Amino acid sequence: MSNLETLLSRDAFLLSVDIRLFWFVALIYGASLVLYIIHLVTKKTGPGKLATNILWFGVITHAGLILLRTFEGQRAPFQTLYESLSWFAWSAAVTYLYVERKWKDIYLSGILVAALSMGACLYALLTRSPAVEPLSPPLQSWWFEWHVVLAFLSYAVFVVSCSIEIVYLAIKPSLKKGLGTDFGINMDNLESFHAQSFRLALFGFPLLTFGIFSGAAWANEAWGRYWGWDPKETWSLITWTVFAMYLHSVSIPKWRGMPASIFNILGFICMIMTFIGVNWVAKLLGIPSLHLYAM
Amino acid sequence: MTILKKIREFNWQAIRENKLYWRFASLKTSVIFLGILVFFYIIGTIFPQGGEIDDYIRAGGRFSSFVIFFNLLELFTTPIFLLSALLLFINLAICTFERFLLLLSQKTLKTEELQFIPSYILPLDINPQLEDAFEGVREIFKKELRFREQTNGSDKEQVGSVRIIEKGWSYKWLTWIYHVAIAFCFVGFLLTYLFAFEDGITLYPNEHTKIMPTAVSRWNGSWGKGPQELDFKLILDEFITEHNQFPALDYPKDKLSRLAVAMGWKEVKYLLDNESYFPKDWKSRLRVIKGNHAVLEKTIEVNDPLYFQGITFYQAAYEQNLKIQVDDNPILLETEVGKELIVPGVDGMLKFGTLKTGTLFKKDGTTEKIKPFVETTLVRKDSSGKSETKKLGKLVQDESLVVDDKRIILKEFKEASVLSYRYDPGVPILWISGILAMLAMSLRIFGAWHRIAYRIDEKDRVPRLLLNIKTKGLMANEEKFIKRLKYHLNKMTEPIDLDTPV
Ligand code: HEM
Repeated sequence: MSNLETLLSRDAFLLSVDIRLFWFVALIYGASLVLYIIHLVTKKTGPGKLATNILWFGVITHAGLILLRTFEGQRAPFQTLYESLSWFAWSAAVTYLYVERKWKDIYLSGILVAALSMGACLYALLTRSPAVEPLSPPLQSWWFEWHVVLAFLSYAVFVVSCSIEIVYLAIKPSLKKGLGTDFGINMDNLESFHAQSFRLALFGFPLLTFGIFSGAAWANEAWGRYWGWDPKETWSLITWTVFAMYLHSVSIPKWRGMPASIFNILGFICMIMTFIGVNWVAKLLGIPSLHLYAM
Repeated sequence: MTILKKIREFNWQAIRENKLYWRFASLKTSVIFLGILVFFYIIGTIFPQGGEIDDYIRAGGRFSSFVIFFNLLELFTTPIFLLSALLLFINLAICTFERFLLLLSQKTLKTEELQFIPSYILPLDINPQLEDAFEGVREIFKKELRFREQTNGSDKEQVGSVRIIEKGWSYKWLTWIYHVAIAFCFVGFLLTYLFAFEDGITLYPNEHTKIMPTAVSRWNGSWGKGPQELDFKLILDEFITEHNQFPALDYPKDKLSRLAVAMGWKEVKYLLDNESYFPKDWKSRLRVIKGNHAVLEKTIEVNDPLYFQGITFYQAAYEQNLKIQVDDNPILLETEVGKELIVPGVDGMLKFGTLKTGTLFKKDGTTEKIKPFVETTLVRKDSSGKSETKKLGKLVQDESLVVDDKRIILKEFKEASVLSYRYDPGVPILWISGILAMLAMSLRIFGAWHRIAYRIDEKDRVPRLLLNIKTKGLMANEEKFIKRLKYHLNKMTEPIDLDTPV
């Protein structure tokens, strides 16, 4: 075997380990999701706790996968959409587990996080190429790397923020009516549980700001134009603006409750649009996209 | 001068007494304006921005009269959008101005002093002397917990008065700074909007090339000024292309087969064929000529442009011209990569892919000079007019391919570097204000700021510490802080161990 052939068969081997491990991670997130749903249906703490433990296992395995990918590509593993979706899934799960440590027996917000982490992994596996591609010249930029890392990290943080918000909105009415829930949330801890949602959005906001700034700086270096109003850019600006509206509404006494919560959820929806649904509305209305970049 | 005088004499205070002014200073107004911008942004994602209306209609775009009427393909330059952005800017400017006055007057500090409501009451139960307790607590805050004193003056020094102390960067000033920086970003956008222009230029090796923009900034355009030739020239000394050897991955596209890979029923393989050259870099070795002298030399590449006299030159693309010989005919046929070429005696047209030349960086770490070649295809139209392409393979320089008994030879080629250039005076302001905004925002949000208002008094002859704590920033942790404070207070109030010799 020539030197080159040995290299290629080594790469193919590593890639097949990478792919299988990625499927395995998706499966673990899926198992965790199922257990969180069982927790929701049965109202028992056991499945919730198990789901969280399994999610921990998934996150640790996933960290190994990200390291493997770094070794495979000999570069930061965030450049292709296959890689950045993986990074997003991992960050969302880690953020969730980090904030969840402080709560005793509240597991409901794990549902959305596990579902999205699994969804992101499956989306990458089923629709993107796993090849460790060399980077085309425009992508070879320090700004681009930071752009992806920070923007996707902020999205992951917003996912957790939104899932707490949804649980809060769903549970608050029944708690107010004096109907107990069996999900570990009561009138004493409800507000401090909810406060995490704001703290997370606050944490994510500068990250998204960095994400957009580094994206603009990169576009400025690579194409000589820091902003081009293509749908993907514009959706990230919408997400950013909606989160700015959310953070401001929280400072308006009258809006602090429901309107602010709605902005947080809207921000999450915009974020999902940035990801996948960029041209969805245009397609729905039968409007053609004339931009190459607008995937 | 009279204008200056008029400005000075203008009753500014009257503006600040206006109701509308205060509406503009409100946070609610900014949420509404932000919402209006979001509405425009969403419309802008639906209709392709920057497209031509004819292309839009040709591509099957709907609502065309609506699109034309509202100028929806250039939405972000329409007066209504610009007006909305301006209103947000005014809102931001007024907010920051009012905030500035408020911060300077330190009004909030005074109200906090007046409305002191303790949220913690900690007994200082051992030490009987109130004066000592007062000094001791002061020392703890200052030396152990590193707080700054906010209130001064001898009248405040006494026991029983409320003291206000602070630690960390003032979150109010940080918030103020990043809002001001965001306002300056708007100024940057305005400068871009008014004064930026961009164009492209094609450079052939070793030719002095004048730079004659065809585009003009909005500002100059609105005064009827045409574009002006720039007072320097560019020379392309060399155009360099580099490629990576990139083996194609044999990986299924359909979802079920991908699952089969996951289960280990199917292998993934890298297929090495020589055609998989992946662009690594394009570089242009440039010289700037002013008068008769070269004033600057730089090799630019994608992501590393050349800056000169406020203009930035970017490596955008390249052009490749080929000279093809047919049989022994001394007259060479000229064509361009990507275009179709009619060759007498050949049924159909020849089409050439990107010419691969320069250096190849191989997978095994070695490099190789590429013998220039183009992928060649034959495009034929059948009787029904449908075109059909047939791969002919690689046409290597000075070697031949045979089509319909004709020998096709790639004799020569010429590469030109295509640069885009842009003048944009908004960029420096955006760099500075963007970085400032992010810095201040990060310090405010990720940092830790504590303000404590406290008082020491006594109840039942036992001194106690009453305090109210306010924190900002994600690193600030009130619980932990109170724990630390209690620890130090305990240490202070520990009884003296009489058995230990002093
Ligand atoms: C694009 C525009 C804007 C952005 C991105 C922005 C961003 C933010 C962010 C992230 C916060 C929350 C973090 C913090 O509390 O420090 C905030 C708070 C705030 N913003 Fe803005 N802002 C914008 C415009 C405005 C405008 C126009 C006003 C004027 C009314 C304003 C007034 C405030 C106030 C009063 C707060 C609360 C600060 C505090 O907690 O004391 N902002 N802004």
